[in-house]
Amino acid sequence: MDGNTVENFSLFMNFGFPLLLLLLAYFIGSMIERRHFRNIRRREDDNVGFPVVSFDTMPDDWNVSDSTMVSGSIVVSLDYFKRVIAGLRSLVGGRVKTYEPLLDRARREALLRMTESARKQGYDAVFNVRLETSRLANSRGDGKGIAGVEMLAFGTAVKFASRFARA
Amino acid sequence: MKFIPRKPREGINVSDTHPLVEAGTLVVGLTAIFIVIALALIFIVEIALYFVPVEKEADFFADWLPEDLATVAPNDDRLRETQLLVDRLALHWGDAPYEFRVEIDDSDVANAMALPGGLIIVTQGLLDQVESENELAFVLGHELGHFKNRDHLRALGRGIVLSLFFSVATGNDVSNLSIKVTDLALRGFSREQESDADEFGLALVYTHYGHVDEASRLFERWDEDDRSLLDIVSYLSTHPATADRIEELEELALRENWPVEGSVTVLKW
Repeated sequence: MDGNTVENFSLFMNFGFPLLLLLLAYFIGSMIERRHFRNIRRREDDNVGFPVVSFDTMPDDWNVSDSTMVSGSIVVSLDYFKRVIAGLRSLVGGRVKTYEPLLDRARREALLRMTESARKQGYDAVFNVRLETSRLANSRGDGKGIAGVEMLAFGTAVKFASRFARA
Repeated sequence: MKFIPRKPREGINVSDTHPLVEAGTLVVGLTAIFIVIALALIFIVEIALYFVPVEKEADFFADWLPEDLATVAPNDDRLRETQLLVDRLALHWGDAPYEFRVEIDDSDVANAMALPGGLIIVTQGLLDQVESENELAFVLGHELGHFKNRDHLRALGRGIVLSLFFSVATGNDVSNLSIKVTDLALRGFSREQESDADEFGLALVYTHYGHVDEASRLFERWDEDDRSLLDIVSYLSTHPATADRIEELEELALRENWPVEGSVTVLKW
């Protein structure tokens, strides 16, 4: 290999390869995102009549026979494209627009999983719903890298004693 | 309170800006900022460089060579003769603060460059084209003229800032700056700077040989001969157009009463 080949190769590894990765991450990432949003919307349509509320005490007119805690959680990670664009955004500040759909997906998916779990167990409603996030560090060991974010939705699922209670 | 089933509303927590638009805005905007900063830095560095005393510059760059220069063997005949010619010409520049060093770049395109610390680079391509010592002497005298006017510092600021950015971008050690000749070669001198250098060069040639015959012969040949067009593209990219230049040189010789005919010295290789 002559010097030129080596130089071209190192140029490719330094600039071309990350660019290729960026494009790949964009196409795959946005395809996955579109599919996930379609899936979320369909399931939200399925669950539209099921009460999921954030009151911390049960409404007085709910006459319930059984209750349990239900939860749904999802771990999401950034794709390389989102991370790079967010990195650029962090230089000047402002809305990190590439992260917003990611977290929106996470919130809605966590709520859906919680709701679906409540329905599957035969419950009629969930109240006192809360959302929590936690950061998962990656295996780099220095604690700086972020592998992903966990979104946890939890609440108290209840079974109504009589159908009249759900006025 | 009545429970009304509703679907979650869309578009509240997600902005509808397309990710590629967001990426494009950021990349273009930041690049523009980056370029402005780079240009400002180059401007500041180049202004500052003119305040560096000549002796400091000569001392600091005494052993410096651009990183990507492909030099010939030190015992090369042409290198020795060119160095001798530069030394002889420099004698006529009374108090030259530099110790001029000549290096031959192993490149086929004809070019010559004045670089910091009294470093003169001529290419193999140029040495292949010159047919007499007088022709070469003028090219070298012209480069000495750039030193005289300190034009050679012009590209240095760009070289420093570009290599600084390059090391930052590639994660190399910033303290180990390596200025590339390719960065420096891309400089453009103004017509005025070139004319001043030409004037100084021609004066040196006259003082040395007692006439200016064949001084601009190289450019005349280039002007006549289209075949060597590719060879001269490089030299022209950093030097003025040949026809105008020959005319200016002739006018100068006429004005100063320098004889345009005399015995031409042959090359010693």
